[in-house]
Amino acid sequence: MSPQLTLQTPIQLPPSEIPSYLEQLWSKDQPSNSGANTFSLLIWQPSWLEQKLIRTGRLKSPIEGNQRNELIEAARKVVLEKDLPHSTPPLESIVCNSLIPQNENKSITDLRGQHVHRAISALQPRRLITLAPTLNGKNKLETLVAAYCPLLEESGSDSACGDVVVFRGGMDSIKEGLDIVENLIPEELPSWIWWNGYLDEAKPMLNKLASSGRRLILDSALGDPYYCLELLKSKTCKDQAINDLNWLRLRSWRESLAMVFDPPKRREILQNIVNIDIDFEGENPVQGLLLAGWIADRLNWKIVESIPSDEEIIEAKFKRDDDYIVHLKLISLPVGRPSIHPGQIVGIRLICKSNERSNNDVCVILGAESTECMRLEAGGMASMELIEEVVPNQFTSVEMDVARLLKSCRGSTSPLLSKAAPLAYELFKLVKK
Amino acid sequence: MSWSYKNHLRTSSMSKAITNPLRIGLRQERVISPQCLVIFGASGDLTHRKLVPALFELFKQRRLPSEFAILGCARRPWSDEDFRQKMQNSLKEVIQEDPTTWEHFVQCLFYEPVDLQKQEDLVSLSKRLEEIDKIRATHNNRTFYLSVSPKFYAGGCKALSNAGLLKDPKRSRVVIEKPFGRDFRSAQNLNQIVQNCAKESQIFRIDHYLGKETVQNILVLRFANTIFEPIWNRNFISSVQITAAETVGVEDRAGYYESSGALRDMVQNHLTQMLAITAMEPPGHFDPEAIRNEKAKVLKSSRLANEIEPWKCCIRGQYAGGGSQSHPLIGYREEPGVSPNSSTETYVAMKVFIENWRWQGVPFYIRTGKRLAKRLSEVVLTFREAPVHLFDTAGGTPTSNQLILRIQPNEGAIFKFEVKSPGSGMKSRPVEMNFSYDQSFGEPSDEGYVRLLADAMLGDPTLFTRSDEVEAAWKLYTPLLQIIENNPRDLPIYPYESRTWGPEAADALLAKDHLLWRRP
Repeated sequence: MSPQLTLQTPIQLPPSEIPSYLEQLWSKDQPSNSGANTFSLLIWQPSWLEQKLIRTGRLKSPIEGNQRNELIEAARKVVLEKDLPHSTPPLESIVCNSLIPQNENKSITDLRGQHVHRAISALQPRRLITLAPTLNGKNKLETLVAAYCPLLEESGSDSACGDVVVFRGGMDSIKEGLDIVENLIPEELPSWIWWNGYLDEAKPMLNKLASSGRRLILDSALGDPYYCLELLKSKTCKDQAINDLNWLRLRSWRESLAMVFDPPKRREILQNIVNIDIDFEGENPVQGLLLAGWIADRLNWKIVESIPSDEEIIEAKFKRDDDYIVHLKLISLPVGRPSIHPGQIVGIRLICKSNERSNNDVCVILGAESTECMRLEAGGMASMELIEEVVPNQFTSVEMDVARLLKSCRGSTSPLLSKAAPLAYELFKLVKK
Repeated sequence: MSWSYKNHLRTSSMSKAITNPLRIGLRQERVISPQCLVIFGASGDLTHRKLVPALFELFKQRRLPSEFAILGCARRPWSDEDFRQKMQNSLKEVIQEDPTTWEHFVQCLFYEPVDLQKQEDLVSLSKRLEEIDKIRATHNNRTFYLSVSPKFYAGGCKALSNAGLLKDPKRSRVVIEKPFGRDFRSAQNLNQIVQNCAKESQIFRIDHYLGKETVQNILVLRFANTIFEPIWNRNFISSVQITAAETVGVEDRAGYYESSGALRDMVQNHLTQMLAITAMEPPGHFDPEAIRNEKAKVLKSSRLANEIEPWKCCIRGQYAGGGSQSHPLIGYREEPGVSPNSSTETYVAMKVFIENWRWQGVPFYIRTGKRLAKRLSEVVLTFREAPVHLFDTAGGTPTSNQLILRIQPNEGAIFKFEVKSPGSGMKSRPVEMNFSYDQSFGEPSDEGYVRLLADAMLGDPTLFTRSDEVEAAWKLYTPLLQIIENNPRDLPIYPYESRTWGPEAADALLAKDHLLWRRP
């Protein structure tokens, strides 16, 4: 799916003139010219890695803001070149921080906000507002605006037009422009905020943008894990719609695990779990913790304790309904070619032991399609019934995931996430202590 | 978290034995946009037996938006409260399981006395809808469900159109129940009238068989797997049987059934839809029009095995008495409301060919009937025999491979094939590989109406029949309908004993082709 550019070259206007320009563009007196009646999407689009890769000559310009393959491959090369651990995911902040561009003022074509991914444009957004901070924090604010009519692939579908607005400049100038941004978000339409950056950057701006009526899209795999979980927990506890892309990427694991226990004869096994091992890539445990939190919530387990045994392992104990203790181990695994998203799960193993019938002991192993899970298969399971499944990889780009969220029109946080996130945070907090 | 979800979680954790706790909340169903569902015929059977229970189920599954209303309309001078009370009485058992959710759901129910033939009633209906838009924030989005006698379909659509209620194709839809017409001509006329009132994209002709998970599964089985499609044709399949058998008699539907019969009541719609889904070509993509194009194409290629002498490929039957001494069953002609000389068929079996590249020469045998030995619906694909019989068979004759798609009950699929019978010889015998929805998923699938109502409100027409499909289906049976109408003696009614597999003549229809009906 190649991105779509706006048909009209964006016009550069002083920030103060943008509201009146847009008002003229969409005359309310002419119903045929009132623009799409869909949603608005405000994107925090720093693209730090892309900017640095281009400015250091590792990636061709222009800056697009999309997660394209060339960008990922260039970032993987940086991992090798800078002698970073091979398990380092290409989007990890350490990769970005290892690059030091020489000339931040050199002019580079920047199409952020104008290069709209086809999956998103197909949803006919009413307004796309992009905040595009530049590496040079002292750059002045530039504001661009253009009408935007998506070209729909399906013939016969009616296309409704919208507009794109781009705020580009140094961090300070973008902060100054925030008040105008607020005025540009149509009140009558659902509004989404997509924080397409690290969660622990520009914290005040994130808090300001994510006011309660707006639906926030974020990625808890990006940023300091403890901060990400804390933020996720605090936001899910409030009355705000949170959509976490890291949680969304867990769906094939949740679905595969649920599928194992769909046959009614296997349901009893769930009541006899005594051990859970979750292996994840690299050093970011957030996705593993969210999976553990989801399982614990669904099976009604209570956290007893969480123990940091060493740097690579998080151990915890839960109490089942029948007071038996379940042992959880979250283990960080080094992998040769990590997924683009930090901390993706590699495998999960459940050991279920029935006190009454030892021949009913079961070992359930789910392994990622792309990664070996031999560690989980080792050791003393020979006497158990073995259920093994392979969890399909998800190759969708972040833009496709966002489009899927926007399409779902869900105006509330997933109840499963709102239960799992606080438990994941609790587990990690105990370890941190 | 909303109250209904909390409640759902509570219920689910209480019933661990039957629910997979890891499954809860994983189904990412599409969310219906704010709207008002207007049911005409709200005092009728279908509303309290199927529609309101299905809507309550959708509500429990959190699939209805909070900006939602159901406006019941009928001639009876009920109030909102009366309607709510009637629905509550009808759904007593379901409500008992979840009274709190019902308390919230019932707030969505409204009632307006409407006679679709009276102009002034339509004016007050419009006003009421505007009021509901304000109090329930339903944004002028409306789905009109015509659960009325078929003779009011045309008038109902005209009345709605004249009142301006179908003006906006993006905000209003009409759902029309079966039967859609009585024959090809009347269906064509009805289509013309309805299409003059609304765009085809607004019209949803419902066939509740298409709402069945197992019917939809035929599409998935065929087009999501690579092993079936290469052999899904005349080169490998020798015949196809499509059966919908009921054990019940006409019950309290004699008035309708006398003028309809099994051909109009079951074959033209449900069985023909199963035929279309079983035989259609793969659509280019999973898109409503692409699928409906393929269904319409295959129906247009279908014809009776003998159109000139249809009695040679079609058998009609009527159930006679039967049962046991302790539980005797009366025959159709003794049923209340049925003429003692009735010539309405309660059973029909026929042979159809599909004249296209894929199916040329493969007979499709279709049968349906009331008071048969078992309640079941299934599609059976029988594969060609092995070209050479290398092995003796334990049963005497080799059995052809069969793929049996069980629509209901015991939903699932069976594949029958030959294996070596244990022992020192090399004899073969048939065995079955079984997929069962129950054993694999362990949760009952939604009633067809749950799926179809949701789809209609979502504006997704995939599982609804398009005008050309309906017309093609009627056209297929026109030679039979003409004989029944003009020379009924040419297509005699064979009596059959209640709770048997129909008249012997139906067995003879297959015997001519050296085949047998499957006796499940």
